[in-house]
Amino acid sequence: MEVKPKSACDTCAHFNAAGLKKLGVDTSSFDHVIALAGNPNTGKSTVFNALTGLRQHTGNWPGKTVTRAEGGFEYNNEKYKLVDLPGTYSLLSTSEDEEVARNFILFGKPTVTVIVVDASRLERNLNLVLQILEITDRAVLCLNLMDEAKRNDIEINTRTLARDLGIPVVPASARYNEGIPELIQTISEVANGSIVCKPHRIKNIPKNIEKAVEDLSVEILKEYPDMPNSRWIAFRLLEGDQHIINLLRTGEFEEYIS
Amino acid sequence: MNTYDPLLALLVFLGICLLGFLFFRPNNGWFWLINKGSQSTDKIIVEDILKRLYHNENAGKYLNINDIVRTLKQNDKMVIDSIDNMATLGLVRISGDIVKLTKSGSDYALRIIRAHRLWERYLADKTGFNKTEWHQRAERKEHELSMDETNLLAHKLGNPQFDPHGDPIPTITGKMAELKGVPVSELKTHTIGRIIHIKDKPDIIYKQIMAENIHIGSIIRVVEKSPERIVFHSEGEAFKLAPIMAGNITVSILEKNISYEEDILRLNILKENEKAKIIGISKEIRGESRRRLLDLGFVKGASVSIDLLNPLGEPKAYLIKGTSIALRNDQASKILIKK
Amino acid sequence: MKQKNIDNIIALSNDLRWQIGDEFHDNLAEGIYADAAEIVKVSVHKPNGDNRLRLDAKIDKIITSKTWGFPLMFLILAVVLWLTIVGANYPSSMLAELLLNTIHPALKGYASALGLPWWLDGFLIDGVYMAVAWVIAVMLPPMAIFFPLFTLLEDFGYLPRVAFNLDHLFKLSGAHGKQALTMSMGFGCNAAGVVATRIIDSPRERLIAIITNNFSLCNGRWPTQILIATIFIGATVPASFAGIASLGAVIGVAILGICFMFLTSWALSKTVLKGEVSTFNLELPPYRPPRFWKTIYTSIIDRTLIVLWRAIVFAAPAGAVIWLISNIHIGDLSIAAWMIDSFDGFGFLFGLNGVILVAYIVAIPANEIVIPTILMLTVLVTGISGGAGAGVMFELDSANATGEILRAGGWTLLTAVNLMLFSLLHNPCSTTIYTIYKETKSVRWTVVASILPVIMGFVVTFLVAQVWRLFA
Repeated sequence: MEVKPKSACDTCAHFNAAGLKKLGVDTSSFDHVIALAGNPNTGKSTVFNALTGLRQHTGNWPGKTVTRAEGGFEYNNEKYKLVDLPGTYSLLSTSEDEEVARNFILFGKPTVTVIVVDASRLERNLNLVLQILEITDRAVLCLNLMDEAKRNDIEINTRTLARDLGIPVVPASARYNEGIPELIQTISEVANGSIVCKPHRIKNIPKNIEKAVEDLSVEILKEYPDMPNSRWIAFRLLEGDQHIINLLRTGEFEEYIS
Repeated sequence: MNTYDPLLALLVFLGICLLGFLFFRPNNGWFWLINKGSQSTDKIIVEDILKRLYHNENAGKYLNINDIVRTLKQNDKMVIDSIDNMATLGLVRISGDIVKLTKSGSDYALRIIRAHRLWERYLADKTGFNKTEWHQRAERKEHELSMDETNLLAHKLGNPQFDPHGDPIPTITGKMAELKGVPVSELKTHTIGRIIHIKDKPDIIYKQIMAENIHIGSIIRVVEKSPERIVFHSEGEAFKLAPIMAGNITVSILEKNISYEEDILRLNILKENEKAKIIGISKEIRGESRRRLLDLGFVKGASVSIDLLNPLGEPKAYLIKGTSIALRNDQASKILIKK
Repeated sequence: MKQKNIDNIIALSNDLRWQIGDEFHDNLAEGIYADAAEIVKVSVHKPNGDNRLRLDAKIDKIITSKTWGFPLMFLILAVVLWLTIVGANYPSSMLAELLLNTIHPALKGYASALGLPWWLDGFLIDGVYMAVAWVIAVMLPPMAIFFPLFTLLEDFGYLPRVAFNLDHLFKLSGAHGKQALTMSMGFGCNAAGVVATRIIDSPRERLIAIITNNFSLCNGRWPTQILIATIFIGATVPASFAGIASLGAVIGVAILGICFMFLTSWALSKTVLKGEVSTFNLELPPYRPPRFWKTIYTSIIDRTLIVLWRAIVFAAPAGAVIWLISNIHIGDLSIAAWMIDSFDGFGFLFGLNGVILVAYIVAIPANEIVIPTILMLTVLVTGISGGAGAGVMFELDSANATGEILRAGGWTLLTAVNLMLFSLLHNPCSTTIYTIYKETKSVRWTVVASILPVIMGFVVTFLVAQVWRLFA
């Protein structure tokens, strides 16, 4: 992660308006699209409400938001559209929720993906974080529920965590609105390219799989040289993801990634 | 209304119920029988004969017409007519009494086998049907799937190599993954191997093996061998099998450097205030359930303890990676741990 | 060229997948968790290890204990239902006074002052307005009490523990413990109960919960049960026991509903649904103090008003239909009278009558308007004095007066018992049917969920009627 001076916006990231339209998200009149991902029960919807001022119901229940909720906010004269993805434990399975979340990040290419995690259950939450970091390199980790973590005497070194994950980490307690201004600030810095992420890539994979992923990845890059997440596409192909295979076959894939 | 009598009404009602039962009762209901009758039985007989010939020829045996008539539980005359028909279509050659597959006949047979095994795989991975139903359902479905449908199915399943019994699934071109294994009955003591195949015939033995809770993919270690019985350990349990049962289970022998975890237990026997490490999830949990457990953190090396007992005995809540997750006992009994 | 490269990629992935074998997903999941563990080791310091908060553990010990778990659960459910049913009485009667007894006559007055033709003012004010007003008056107060209470329990984290405690019972019938919650939610409103099944993430168990939710007596049906039980069941015993007897009958019907729910769940899981994928897991989240006002606000916005809006949308046309069939005449009889006549024989077989069946057909949108419709139709066909005119639904303040009208319509104790049973076992209201379709996106399951309870209702009332007549 390196911090560059805030200069002309040649480093600015852009979301994929065409892809988002296909996913049913209207992006006209917005400068940035922000996706909100996270495990169930991490207070993701509370963060969403804190950012947008909307009052979506936030249940103390795993798996509440089944469809996407959308909202928006304005910061420094720029308009941000916020899309709340279904809470999932992972992005590797075939359930509807996971497909919605996975395809949104992969094809919608939101300008920034905010990953909300429960600070006192970081290890479990990192499962999802590490998967998302394979897909996108513009992400912010929102370390939510810091108040609960403090009550549990859990100490987290956000500096080393940010270094290891390669993305900015913002501690927050969304219930009490703590850390939300900082979160907005960080989102805008990533969106405008003044923070550049160097996301962590999954390491502990058996050799034969690593080799297969690499071989496949090389082939994919031959065809789509600019693809930032060829490794993730390789994972999905090895998993036999029908959606992606079909998109490749029909050539629609191109429209999404261009 | 002048003919109304409650007793009469009740009797009419009971009559309707009885009729409904006779029509729709599972397996032998008239509705199902009529339904079955309307399917082209000819096609089914032909395909069943092809399959039987293929399996036997693979084992180096040739069948005569009598054998076929005897093993197929169908009208004798229809079977004989079908064989004649197949000869004219060039699917089989009849030399004397012996019936042999031609090239196109064996290709056809492979296609049926492919459909059957793919469907079993589909049932195992993508549906909730019990494992004892897979074979029977596939026996029916194999005759219904067209070639295109079969290929689409294979594609959707990610072109799997093996069916849930460990039998190789032929590819479109008829290629099959090779099974390099040894029957358990021929293993020496202390050999470690992974179960790669369980024969689903004869039915009686297969059901016994299923009842023993033995499944493909488990690693076993033979601890005792005598002419009367073979004892092996697998996933924390000891199994004692008669040689004919053991002969139906094939394992591939693993290299020496793989160590067999001897004192494996199952999560459901963990007691309050005990800690354990997860060794893995039994191969019996497949498809979506397996993925879900992995996603929830039930992965190799994770430490687990009981968080809450249940007033009704189950499910129990387990503390895994900092979160309390409740599992039912039949799930917990398929998670392997080491204290 | 391009297509060829892509085909190559897919072919290569097939080959590689073939080589790696079945373990890919396991290996990947393990790999990711191994990375996570390494990262956490560097950055997170936990002095207490993995243990949960002591207070959380203490609360859990009580809530899931053998001694306290179940009594506590029933106590809380009873309190919530009591608060809902009793607490809703006052605002309900105030709303009824306002909408039905004040605004309705006022509207009629304006209409005649404006010189609207009788049919237009009847259609709009007596038909559409009346049905909508009725649904609001009966439905809004209980939902505005029930849903916030339920949501508070949910936000606190108590409900997952209820699912945990009860799961074993539901497992026996092939269902998921969380169905206990969607079922309880159904006591408030079936449409809301169906939406709540989203918390069940296993496809088979979710369908079971959706299809069986209708067996929870919803708040549109509680008043029907209470009214009929008071009039007919209470009258069978000495006056001093009347209250207890009628209360017992209503609770009995609700419990019968729960029995049907278990039975149907079991049958579904063993037959039509056995091929659906079934996975189980239940996360017990930490307790979090709910933020009272915010919860109340969001649960009223999110649940109450949405459900109410749907009900109104469906009730308005029903009001129009009810008015039209009572006022359009074919020959010298209204359509309603024709329908009632032709259903009478059929209804008799089930210990019901034509009026009841017609009322249930036209009042599909909302169970709340069944009783007013029955009263209006009874007056219409018997020609006794009372009521507010053809097509104008009404209800009386005293149960005795209502009972007199019904008895004049030929009602017996058997009719009352079977009406209570049929009110429990009939198709879901159209709001719920629509919601089931939205949630399952399947015509097939929507049809099953709609038809199954009606068939069961006819079978049960039929059997009761025949046996009753044999022995009585």
